[in-house]
Amino acid sequence: MYEFNLAGLLPYTGPLPRAIVLTLWLSTLSILLSVAVGVLGALCRTSTSLILRWIGGAYVEVLRNIPLLVVIYLIFFGLAQVGLRVDGFNSALIALTLNAGAYMTEIFRGGLTAIPRGQYEAARSQGMTGYQLYRYVVFPQVFRIIYAPLGNLMIGIVIGSSLASVIGVEEVTTWMRRAGDETFRYMESFLAVGVIYVVLAQTINIGRIVTGRWLLSRAPIGHRR
Amino acid sequence: MSTDPSSPVLRIEGLVKRYGPHLVIDGVDLDVAAGQVVVFVGPSGTGKSTLLRCVNGLEDIQGGRILFEGQPVLSRSSAIHAVRRRIGMIFQGFNLYPHLTALQNVTLAPVKVLGEPAKDVEERARGLFRKVRLEHRAHAFPSQLSGGEQQRVAIARALAMNPHLLMFDEPTSALDPETVGDVLAVMEDLAREGRTMLVVTHEIGFARHVGDRMIFMDGGKIVEDRPPEEMIASPENPRTRQFLGSILHH
Repeated sequence: MYEFNLAGLLPYTGPLPRAIVLTLWLSTLSILLSVAVGVLGALCRTSTSLILRWIGGAYVEVLRNIPLLVVIYLIFFGLAQVGLRVDGFNSALIALTLNAGAYMTEIFRGGLTAIPRGQYEAARSQGMTGYQLYRYVVFPQVFRIIYAPLGNLMIGIVIGSSLASVIGVEEVTTWMRRAGDETFRYMESFLAVGVIYVVLAQTINIGRIVTGRWLLSRAPIGHRR
Repeated sequence: MSTDPSSPVLRIEGLVKRYGPHLVIDGVDLDVAAGQVVVFVGPSGTGKSTLLRCVNGLEDIQGGRILFEGQPVLSRSSAIHAVRRRIGMIFQGFNLYPHLTALQNVTLAPVKVLGEPAKDVEERARGLFRKVRLEHRAHAFPSQLSGGEQQRVAIARALAMNPHLLMFDEPTSALDPETVGDVLAVMEDLAREGRTMLVVTHEIGFARHVGDRMIFMDGGKIVEDRPPEEMIASPENPRTRQFLGSILHH
């Protein structure tokens, strides 16, 4: 008869810290890169140039309609077949960034379109350059709008990074399968990793909240509030 | 920059503005001398606001040219930023930056665009808040201010750049009647200081008491350009007469 025994996993916890660090590292890099992709994508999608709008739109529609797993396979196996070898970690990083970047684009675009035209006109009428306009007027307002939806997507990235296990990246899910296989304590390893993901996702989320509070509390110009 | 006192601050020659096939400004010529307060009146959709927006390059133009202090205003050139720094614009909808306090709204551009020291700008801003009678509201956010207060902050924001020309695009049209007077009073003070101002408004009382020139526009053209007192007392053009009649008699 089955007997729940978490301690049975103990001999296999050695590689776990490294696996956790790898999951966090992969997630954090994907988040930062996909934010950059999202900002660029959203600027394309709201551009006055038809070509840029089309490129931005095509990117979003293609990438969010292909399962992340398929994108990972395409980059890891597909590219290898045409002679371009990308290792597991980088394949997962690129796939996660491309996938999340499409959602980031839509979040940032939503934020950008929520800024009234009068804000751009006021900033322009004061002689601001394009950079100054976005840096001091538009993005600070966009940031406040997208702050919450960004949290959902960040958690999605942490969870999505588990798919890196299918191409042998030594992250948390890979550890789970190995520990399960070797101890036959599958239930225990699944549950343990479930808890680990909750903690990791919330760590990232708290990181977002702390960073956000810090950004919002900073005086935007050189004097106190 | 032109320093010759006899040359106009603003010169508009044969201005044409189209939105697609729709002709909004149909050949406008206009010279504005330093210190003049020019009030634009006319039915809506006749190009008054568009004219102001062409002057600082918020709109591109399809014909003619605009010279501000002797420099051509080209909406797509990189020189446009330097022109805009010298022209303050006040919008119907205020367009304050909602994420900044009133004081930060006023100091942002002088610090970031003109590169002036924040301390100096803040000091100047405090003086401007006194001028617009809002010194007690400097740390409020726009959402905490009434419409009239927001518009006075917007005026302070424009003044903080030390502009050579102020443009008011229907500054009181979005305000509750009881706050219109506060904004007009501030504008009157500015006119008395000898500032060069272009004002699009339906406030005929303001035009009469404060304006040096009153320009009636209709169909994208300047129909009549005279001292306000005269135009109101005896409009020459039948369209002017009809328009003034309709807004004075209710």
